[in-house]
Amino acid sequence: MNNTAASPMASATSSSGRSTGKSVSFATELQSMMYSLGDARRPLHETAVLVEDVVHTQLINLLQQAAEVSQLRGARVITPEDLLFLMRKDKKKLRRLLKYMFIRDYKSKIVKGIDEDDLLEDKLSGSNNANKRQKIAQDFLNSIDQTGELLAMFEDDEIDEVKQERMERAERQTRIMDSAQYAEFCESRQLSFSKKASKFRDWLDCSSMEIKPNVVAMEILAYLAYETVAQLVDLALLVRQDMVTKAGDPFSHAISATFIQYHNSAESTAACGVEAHGNAIQPCHIREAIRRYSHKIGPLSPFTILALLPRLECGDMILAHCDICLPDSNSSPAKPLK
Amino acid sequence: MEEEETYLELYLNQCAAQDGLAPPRSPLFSPVVPYDMYILNASNPETAFNSNPEVKETCGGFSSVDLSFLPDELTQEDKNQPVIGSKHETEENSESQSRLPSPSDIGLGSNSPSLSNPHSQQHPSDTDSVQASPEKPDSNSLPLASITPMTPVTSVSECCGIVPQLQNIVSTVNLACKLDLKKIALHAKNAEYNPKRFAAVIMRIREPRTTALIFSSGKMVCTGARSEEQSRLAARKYARVVQKLGFPARFLDFKIQNMVGSCDVKFPIRLEGLVLTHQQFSSYEPELFPGLIYRMVKPRIVLLIFVSGKVVLTGAKERSEICEAFENIYPILKGFKKA
Repeated sequence: MNNTAASPMASATSSSGRSTGKSVSFATELQSMMYSLGDARRPLHETAVLVEDVVHTQLINLLQQAAEVSQLRGARVITPEDLLFLMRKDKKKLRRLLKYMFIRDYKSKIVKGIDEDDLLEDKLSGSNNANKRQKIAQDFLNSIDQTGELLAMFEDDEIDEVKQERMERAERQTRIMDSAQYAEFCESRQLSFSKKASKFRDWLDCSSMEIKPNVVAMEILAYLAYETVAQLVDLALLVRQDMVTKAGDPFSHAISATFIQYHNSAESTAACGVEAHGNAIQPCHIREAIRRYSHKIGPLSPFTILALLPRLECGDMILAHCDICLPDSNSSPAKPLK
Repeated sequence: MEEEETYLELYLNQCAAQDGLAPPRSPLFSPVVPYDMYILNASNPETAFNSNPEVKETCGGFSSVDLSFLPDELTQEDKNQPVIGSKHETEENSESQSRLPSPSDIGLGSNSPSLSNPHSQQHPSDTDSVQASPEKPDSNSLPLASITPMTPVTSVSECCGIVPQLQNIVSTVNLACKLDLKKIALHAKNAEYNPKRFAAVIMRIREPRTTALIFSSGKMVCTGARSEEQSRLAARKYARVVQKLGFPARFLDFKIQNMVGSCDVKFPIRLEGLVLTHQQFSSYEPELFPGLIYRMVKPRIVLLIFVSGKVVLTGAKERSEICEAFENIYPILKGFKKA
């Protein structure tokens, strides 16, 4: 792990030190993405490279498993059903994925109705496209659901704790920005793997695979890649906050990362620009996060963040609950990060 | 006043007679109503109207006009009398007639003739009561039930004169005769017909600049117009073209299905704050779409709000819905202005 992270640190784009000599690198995009997810204004390049490595390994694993599932079915393309099948055990993550698919359908429907030409295009291509992702998901989950748990997720309206925490963090981050910074932040937020679909395909080396994913499956993979980056940033922020020793507060370990960040930014708004590098997530934070959450799997098997999410969710939820119980920042004895 | 009460009773009887229809007051005025329930309730009176025109003539028409606009400014009035919800719709309807700015009036004025057109003999009383109400000065003093408004009360002047511009109107009309699409495509100018691709003729006219999809059943969809009158005029022109080709085309059930408007609030908006405080109405996934999708419940409009301050409103059946939706969202957006 240390070796693979250390070698490509020197050059920006070369990745010959890594797995298959791929020439496509998402490092610069990842830096913007990490900024939009809560990292400092200029995330470190080494961190981005490490995150890219982790995400790449995860996705290749996932693709291979999905290819095996398709082969079992005797199909020639990887379909979204295969990916849903792989994720069936993790309800929270699956629910988030389903919500994303529905929002995607809904957005297509709305945006289509706005422009007259789009409306005609839609009618001409046949109106079966409406809610297609929702239909795919519903039909498939219907077919594999034995206990009714999976179908119950469609009606489930619980608040997604992790997503809530991310939204709050983004809101705090943007509150102190001026319009120019905010415009830049918005642009960073709009970056995603699905916007660079062809580069994404090359990055995953899809052309050399026997069974390739179809369009909707690629959308899901792009979303899962983004989710992995987001989870890594969440965990790294947690680790970073834990690393700071706070004197005199017995409950400091229970304070969540978002709380500390708020406290910190409220006190040092002027110093934000200067501390841009000081506050950036370091590769050691990422490595520590991975180490912490992979110890349950075992030293020899490759860790999978995607499969580990039940544990991650529990951790975040507990911390999020602690956040609610804490007194407000004025009376808190916690020291700011330095 | 008397005739309004009889219409009110008829309407309430109709509502009570329908199974599974919640009382009109609760879904309309509760702030956190599930989106689906609202759609169900709002559409039911209209379907009842369409299916039993001769029985529910006046009250059915009333419901399809009333439920669409209920300006929030009326909630500042006296609220002590627990009168049933739809009565206020009639009063508020009269209020809105007298208070809304002129573009909405024009819109309303053109809508009521269009409503009365297919059922002309049934609605003289409907349009009369709607148009006669501005003359009643005491409508302001009528008490309202305890309505809980979803959004803060706004007055018209708070929007600083920004009026949403209509960009696109989709309407449908029934020509009421079977059509031979091949013949139409051969003889009409600016008509395309590709049966393998789509089972309708696509016709375009230059003034008003619109596109129509004409189906062999006689139904037609007209899109691209920028106002209600233009949409109606364009639909009539298409109908005339079809008529001139020898088909006995009529002009039945002209209905505006969707209106899209847009405007600019002229300041940047902090969408992260908006999505956090209005979670149950908004979804913001910037990696998917750069705008925030806000589903307003009352009126049932979808707004796309962008960081630049541009707002697109869609899903309206009447111009007043767009204006009202914008009036509702403007103070909220001001609260999230990015300095």
